[in-house]
Amino acid sequence: MAATGVAPNNIGFDFSNYARNEFLGARLGAQAKTTSTGTTIVGLKYGGGDSGDEEGICLGADTRATGGPIVADKNCEKIHYLTPHIRCCGAGTAADTEYVTNLISSNLELHSLSQGRQVRVVTAMTMLKQYLYRYQGHVGAYLVVGGVDSTGPQLFTVHAHGSTDKLPYVTMGSGSLAAMAVFESAYKEHLTKAEAIALVARAIRAGVFNDLGSGSNVDVSVITKAGTETLRNYETPNERGIKSRDYKFRRGTTAWLKENVRDLVVSEEVKVTMGAGKAQQGTTDRPVAVGAGPGGEEGMDLDA
Amino acid sequence: MSNINFVDIQHLKKGEVNLGTSIMAVKFDKGVVIGADSRTTTGSYIANRVTDKLTHIHDRIYCCRSGSAADTQAVADIVHYHAQTYTAVYGENPPVNTVAALFEKLCYENKDNLSAGIIVGGWDKEKGGSVYNIPLGGGMFEQPWAIGGSGSTYVYGYCDATYREGWGEEETVNFVKNTLALAMARDGSSGGCIRMCVITEDKVERHFVPGNELPRFWEGKEVVGGHSAQPTAVSA
Amino acid sequence: MSSIGTGYDLSVSTYSPDGRLFQVEYANKAVEAAGVAVGIRCSDGIVLGVERLLHSKLLVKGGNRRIQSVDEHVGLATAGLLADGKHLATRLRDEAYNFRDTYNAPATVQILSDRLSGYVQAYTCYGSVRPFGVSSLVAGVDKTGPRLFCVEPSGVFYGYRACAIGKGKALAKTELEKLIAKEADGGEAITCREAIDEIARIIYLVHDDNKDKDFELEMTWVSTETGGKHRAVPGELQAEAEAKAKAALEEGMEED
Repeated sequence: MAATGVAPNNIGFDFSNYARNEFLGARLGAQAKTTSTGTTIVGLKYGGGDSGDEEGICLGADTRATGGPIVADKNCEKIHYLTPHIRCCGAGTAADTEYVTNLISSNLELHSLSQGRQVRVVTAMTMLKQYLYRYQGHVGAYLVVGGVDSTGPQLFTVHAHGSTDKLPYVTMGSGSLAAMAVFESAYKEHLTKAEAIALVARAIRAGVFNDLGSGSNVDVSVITKAGTETLRNYETPNERGIKSRDYKFRRGTTAWLKENVRDLVVSEEVKVTMGAGKAQQGTTDRPVAVGAGPGGEEGMDLDA
Repeated sequence: MSNINFVDIQHLKKGEVNLGTSIMAVKFDKGVVIGADSRTTTGSYIANRVTDKLTHIHDRIYCCRSGSAADTQAVADIVHYHAQTYTAVYGENPPVNTVAALFEKLCYENKDNLSAGIIVGGWDKEKGGSVYNIPLGGGMFEQPWAIGGSGSTYVYGYCDATYREGWGEEETVNFVKNTLALAMARDGSSGGCIRMCVITEDKVERHFVPGNELPRFWEGKEVVGGHSAQPTAVSA
Repeated sequence: MSSIGTGYDLSVSTYSPDGRLFQVEYANKAVEAAGVAVGIRCSDGIVLGVERLLHSKLLVKGGNRRIQSVDEHVGLATAGLLADGKHLATRLRDEAYNFRDTYNAPATVQILSDRLSGYVQAYTCYGSVRPFGVSSLVAGVDKTGPRLFCVEPSGVFYGYRACAIGKGKALAKTELEKLIAKEADGGEAITCREAIDEIARIIYLVHDDNKDKDFELEMTWVSTETGGKHRAVPGELQAEAEAKAKAALEEGMEED
C-alpha cells in the first residue's frame, strides 16, 4: 500500500483528451493522427558454441518517427530501457511504446526490489503481454524484448494484441520484411559479437533504405551477462551533405541611399522601495501598551 | 455446425496475429498423440514459421491452439495457472477432463470476445489418454480423434476413412503426420514444419518434422507441351 | 468441565487462561446430548446410521431426517442441533455443486470434508458468531474408494474406518473397535450388508430404554448395490437388521 500523503507517480495512460478528439473527429470528419514509428526493429541471439564470444542479445532500431507522410523526428530513440540487463525495441504508436515500456520498467524495478534479485526477461515479456492483452490491441505497441538473465540470453516479440513469440532472430515494424530478408539469408547460430552487430546494422539499413516508414540512423544495443552496451547512432548513413553551393550574398552587394541608426533598447527608471509596507521610511513602529485603554489598542491578557 | 472448426477471419481484429492452423489430437491405447503445423500469420505475412502450437498445461496435459494467437495464449496461461493451483490444493494431477472443463468455461463465458479453437489432449490415471475438442463457441466434446484450425476442413474425409481403433503409438504418430501434411498442402494458412507430441503415463516425447521432410503424396504429373490433339499449324 | 467459565466463556473470540475456547467446548456438549450417529467404511461402500430421538409421540413417522444427501455419492449424518446440521448440509451441497461446475468432476469426500471443516472453523474465530453445535459424518464413495470423515465443532476433521458421534459414542466406539479389528490387522473390511446389521445392533445397544426417549432408526448407504449413489437402506433390509438387533439385545439381557 502506498503511504498516505504521497502522490502516486504519474504513470500510465491519460484519456482526458479522448472526448475532445472524438468530438473534433466527428466535426471534421476525420480522426486525429497519432505519431507512428513506421519502424524497423530487430533482435538476434549470438555467441556461444565455437564463436569464442560470450552469449548475448543484439538489438537494433532505426530512428525515424513519422506522423502520416511527415517525418516527425529524424533521430528518435526506439530502444527503450526496461532494466539494466533488459531492453525493448518499440514499433507502432510512439506514445504507446514509450508509455508501456516506462510503466513496465517501473513495475520491473519494484518487482526486483521486492524479490531481491534481477528480474528475468520472461517476467518482462509476461507483464507486457498481459498489459497489452487487457487493452485488446488499442494500445498499439509492437515490441522486441531482449536481455540476459539467470537462464541465459532471451529474445521475444510481443504484438499489440498480446501474443508473443520466442525465436533466435526477430524483426518487427513496417521494415520487418526487409530486415527479415537479411536475417533469413545471413543468420547463423553462434555469430561472434562483431558479426552480430554488423548483421543487425545491415538488417536495419535494409529497413532504412527500402521501407518508407523507416529512415535516418541505426541504433544498436548489445546485452551480455556483464551488462548493456548502448551504441546510439551506431551508423549514420543519412548525414546531411555539404551543399556544393551556398546562397549567401557578399557584403556590399546591395547599394544604399541613406543611413538611419535608431536605439531599439527601451529603458525606464525603476524606484526600488525595500520592504514596502513594513518599515517604510518616514514612519516609526510604535509599541502597543498592554491594557493601556479600551478599544482596538487594548491588549489581551488571558492570565489577568 | 459448418463453421465449427473454421476460424472466422472477420472476427479477428485488424492486424491481429492469427494461427490459421492445422491441429490434431488422436487417442491410442497408451495415451495420446497431438500435432500441429508451425505457421503463424499476420495477414499475408508469416510472423513465425517455427511456432510451437502444442502448449504445456500440466505434466501430462497439453493443448493445441488455433485462432487468435493472443487469445489462445492468454486462455492457455490462465488454465495453466488453474491446473497448477489444483495440484497445490488437492495434491494430485488434475484429470484431463477437468482441464478441458476449465478451457470450456473460459471459452464459453467469453465467446463474444474470443476467437479460440482448442484441442486438449493428455493422460490421466482415471481414464488413460483422452482428447477433448473445444471449438469456437465454447462447447466441449470428448472424441477419439479431433482435428481443428482452418486446415482441418480439407482432411475430415481422410481422417474418417483412415482412422481405426486400437492403434499403437507408431501407427498413431504416422496418422497424425500424414493428416497434417495433407492439410498443410491444401491450406494456405497452414504450413512450415510438423510438431508432434506423444503423451503417455511414462513420457512426454516430442517429434519434429522439418518442412523439407514432410510426407509427400500424389502431386500431379508434369505436363510437357500442350496436350491438344491437333498439332498447331505453323505458317510457312 | 473442570472449571466454570468465570467470564472466559462469553465469547468464542476469547481464550481462557489455559488456552481453551469454552464456546467450542459447549458446542461439543450440544453434540453429546444428541442421539448417536454411526458410520462404517466397508469393503464395498459406506453405511450411515442414526438414532433419531422422538421428543413427542405425536410426530409423524420418518420425518425430520438427520442424514442428508450432499451430492450423488456423498451423505452427511449430523449429531447436535438439527437446524445447524441442515445449514451445514446446504453449505456442503453448494460446495459440491461449485466443484462440479468448475472442474467437471465430482468432489472427493476428502475435499468436501476439507471445505466443510474450513467453514466450521471460521465460526470459532469471531465474537459475533457462535460455533456450530454439530458434529458431522461425511461419507461416500469416490474415485479413491469408500471414505468416511468426521468434522467436529472446532473445525478439525479426521478420516475413519468407523466412527460414532453423539450420546453414548464411547460405548459405540468400543463396539466399532471390535468390528474393525480384523481390518486393522490387514484383513478385509466388513461388507455393507454386514455393516447394516452391526449399526442397527450398536444403536439399539447404546439406546437406553429407561432414560432415553423413544427413537427411530435411520440408515443410508453408498455401495455397489446402489451404483455408487447415496440411498436410504431398503425397508426390508433395515427391518431385518432391527429385528436381529432387538433379538441380540434380549439375548444380552437374559445373559445379564
